[in-house]
Amino acid sequence: MSARLPRAAPAPSVLALLAIGLSIGGCGGTGDDKDTPPRTPGSRGPAGLKVYRHAMDQAPTSLDPVQAANVYANFVVLNAYDTLFAYKYLARPFELKTNLAADWPEISADGLTYTIRIKPGVRFIDDPAFADGVGREVVAEDFVYSIKRHFDPKTRPQGAWLWINRIVGLDEWKAAGSDYAAEIAGLRALDTHTIRIQLTKPYPQLLFTLAMGFSAVVPREAVAYHGREFAVHPVGSGPFRLTSYDTSQVVFERNPRFRPEPVDIAFEGYDEAQHGFSGVAAIDGRSPPFLDRLEISFIAESSARWSSFTKGDEVQYTSIPNEHVDEVLATKQPVTLKPAFAEKYHFFAGVEAGFIFNAFNMDFPEFGYNDDPERERRNKALRCAINKAYSWEQRNESFYMGLGNIFPGIIVPVSPEFDPGLSRDSVTRDVAGARKLLADNGWTPENLPPLVYGANSSVSSRLIFEQFRAWMKEIGYPREKIILKRFATFGDISRAWKQSQLPYVSKGWGLDFPDAENTLQLFYGPNSSPGSNDANYRDPEYDRLYELSSTMLPSPERTAIYQRMNRMLIDDCVANTGLARTRIYLWHKNVIAIPDREIIGGFFLRYVDIVDASTGTVKGGAR
Amino acid sequence: MEILQYTVRKLISGIPLVLGVTLISFLLMVYFGPDKTYELLGKNPTAQEIAEVRTQLGYDQPFLVRYVDYLRELVTLEFGNSDSTGEDVASLLARTIPISLALTGPGFVLGNLLGVLLALFAAFYRSTWVDKAIMASAVVGMSISFLIVIIAFQIIFASSYGLGWFPVRGWSVHSFGDYLSYVAVPTMAMVFVALGYNTRFYRSVLVEEMTRDHVRTARAFGVPPAKLFYKNILKNSMIPIITRVVFSIPLVIISGSLLIESYFGIPGVGKITYDAIISGDQPVLKAVVGLTAILFVLAQLLTDILYRAVDPRISLK
Repeated sequence: MSARLPRAAPAPSVLALLAIGLSIGGCGGTGDDKDTPPRTPGSRGPAGLKVYRHAMDQAPTSLDPVQAANVYANFVVLNAYDTLFAYKYLARPFELKTNLAADWPEISADGLTYTIRIKPGVRFIDDPAFADGVGREVVAEDFVYSIKRHFDPKTRPQGAWLWINRIVGLDEWKAAGSDYAAEIAGLRALDTHTIRIQLTKPYPQLLFTLAMGFSAVVPREAVAYHGREFAVHPVGSGPFRLTSYDTSQVVFERNPRFRPEPVDIAFEGYDEAQHGFSGVAAIDGRSPPFLDRLEISFIAESSARWSSFTKGDEVQYTSIPNEHVDEVLATKQPVTLKPAFAEKYHFFAGVEAGFIFNAFNMDFPEFGYNDDPERERRNKALRCAINKAYSWEQRNESFYMGLGNIFPGIIVPVSPEFDPGLSRDSVTRDVAGARKLLADNGWTPENLPPLVYGANSSVSSRLIFEQFRAWMKEIGYPREKIILKRFATFGDISRAWKQSQLPYVSKGWGLDFPDAENTLQLFYGPNSSPGSNDANYRDPEYDRLYELSSTMLPSPERTAIYQRMNRMLIDDCVANTGLARTRIYLWHKNVIAIPDREIIGGFFLRYVDIVDASTGTVKGGAR
Repeated sequence: MEILQYTVRKLISGIPLVLGVTLISFLLMVYFGPDKTYELLGKNPTAQEIAEVRTQLGYDQPFLVRYVDYLRELVTLEFGNSDSTGEDVASLLARTIPISLALTGPGFVLGNLLGVLLALFAAFYRSTWVDKAIMASAVVGMSISFLIVIIAFQIIFASSYGLGWFPVRGWSVHSFGDYLSYVAVPTMAMVFVALGYNTRFYRSVLVEEMTRDHVRTARAFGVPPAKLFYKNILKNSMIPIITRVVFSIPLVIISGSLLIESYFGIPGVGKITYDAIISGDQPVLKAVVGLTAILFVLAQLLTDILYRAVDPRISLK
């Protein structure tokens, strides 16, 4: 995946290379040969470079925006590419701002037409794909092309679901064979700097989707030039340009052409009381990126990540592995560090933008919909009994060090529509109530249906299952009727979900944008398998409310509808939900940042700066 | 000329082996391996999108067509692009195999050389405390999980909790000094584990050779111990040693060392192969399996030629 390798090594060279490998040809490594800075964070090496070394627990598989489906890919993609909009660095709740867009869009009165002007003079990085190898200006047609790619099966896109049935003519364009020469009525470049999007119906979340890595702007000639290797050879207009990329690390250097845009720290949501400790005030008035070099290491093994972080000169950022939580934290509520760690590191603790939950597959007549109304009524009682037996508190203590946030329903705590006053009965364990519910509805150990619990093959998944089985045993569910079905890979369990093969689905969901619509759509009838509604929940009233709210702008009325839908799910006991994990990040004190990746993804990295150890200041950075 | 004829004959006779290995492994990949489709889908896929991905992956083609394609790829060494990253598979292997070789090479060489050396000592001092100490150490090396060895060595030699002499992880190699610093701890871990297996194996080979009549006769004739060991024991033990060493080479080249590469953050072919297995990245797997089979054929050929070199009585006919 190294970007420094020739574009396509001739295939016959493979065997020759095997032989060459007998030398220590592997010493080329992954870094830049000439100006790799010394591993002394905070100081300037001979070249005076500012380097930040970030760590993530997984590697992205692709750097092509059309495949930026997971948090890791999205995190990296946002540093190489530009999106029209972005999130403010520090504002919480999350707020959008313009990025490549010159201003907010002009929106027609009916909410169907968006006219967006992009900034002039923004240029792609230099690349052999361009004439003379010099990056050209980003134009409106690039955005149109970038969205079209999601509707071209040859690109193996993963983000079409954001815009399917939303933009006039886009689905028809795909049905006609994805001919890039063909115009799309609802997605046009009016001139070099103006985009016109026409929607089939109002889509209040549209601007959120234009802040996601999926919508990043790519140049057509680079896609054509690099072919499928475009996925490892990003050519964008973002703050950084790729130096190398492999399974262990991605290395960026500052994009020297990145447009100068001084940071207004107050506009970005800076709050002295909340953010003052981090030193981010020092970036006010300066133009990012501040780093000369950005290294993101992918370290799946928590022990290696922790050792590398505490070594002091390898990675400067980490989450706290579970096995070190008690060693590092002085208190959990609120999160504070022990003095030895507080002296060396900054930390940030926040609730994840997502949650974990379990849902019943309503297509299984043993637990969900049934032709017999009486059985369907009893099935609901069975689901509610299982829900009452479920102990989120114990799961939180056992697997999340007691740091998780338990909440009822599927509107997660970071959503603006979250209702902190909602009854917590659905997440409070009540074994006696569960037993009574079973007995009152004629459920006995003999007639309880077998419950197949799907899980991946990890040890922790096995332990979570065993804990679940023990809870069920307490309410009289025979042990042998709670059956574990294991899947070797995520792809395998995902296939079982999509093919509706499991009666009980245990999964997590990361928010794509800060709007409860993103989780409520998980139970929308038309999204049933193979869509995102793995529960195959189909309630006409729920679907009607979803469709009604889906065209409404944020308002108290819309929030009321969201919360009503949330209560419907709780009342139907369609899911055991949920828990949002607390993310705790540590970083070295010479790093100036609030490295919160929730929703924002890797966008914050352009604002990261390094204290100069020799002067104790941040002045004299890259710009 | 004899060697050339033998080489051609051997290579031709290796074709069924390669066909067998590729057929069985491809059957396993297609019918028992992970389905890549569901890793390449968006969050809210439609049935049409699922069908499109399957078409892109070639899953809608008959098995025979796909297997013939595989053989064609093996002959042309054109394996296409990774289904995960999109990178050209030839480039991927060209980038990662040298790194794995550079990583595992020193451990492989040292593990075998030290293994032979310790085995010689153990065999020479058979049944004494020296022999027992070496064999006890070998059993310890074999008994401890490689994973534990890696983590322990990482903490002891690289982390701030231990000596902190070497990098915890990474592979930013720009000079021979860098190389030594990055390869030191992985090599120590590999040697620690390999030494146990190697020493036990080589000792048993040497002990068997030492009990042969010609050795006893030579000893009776007063041949000095060093000469006896080199000329009468070590040389005659070379056939099993060569077999073990040469047949390990394909695995060292292709498989690398998954655990080492994962824990030390080294972008070698072992990690690539592991990722391909668990994600069902068939273009990468096909290349790795096919090339490994070819390398085994070549290793077999090399072994036979080396047999002849160390024992002229062996004919290549």
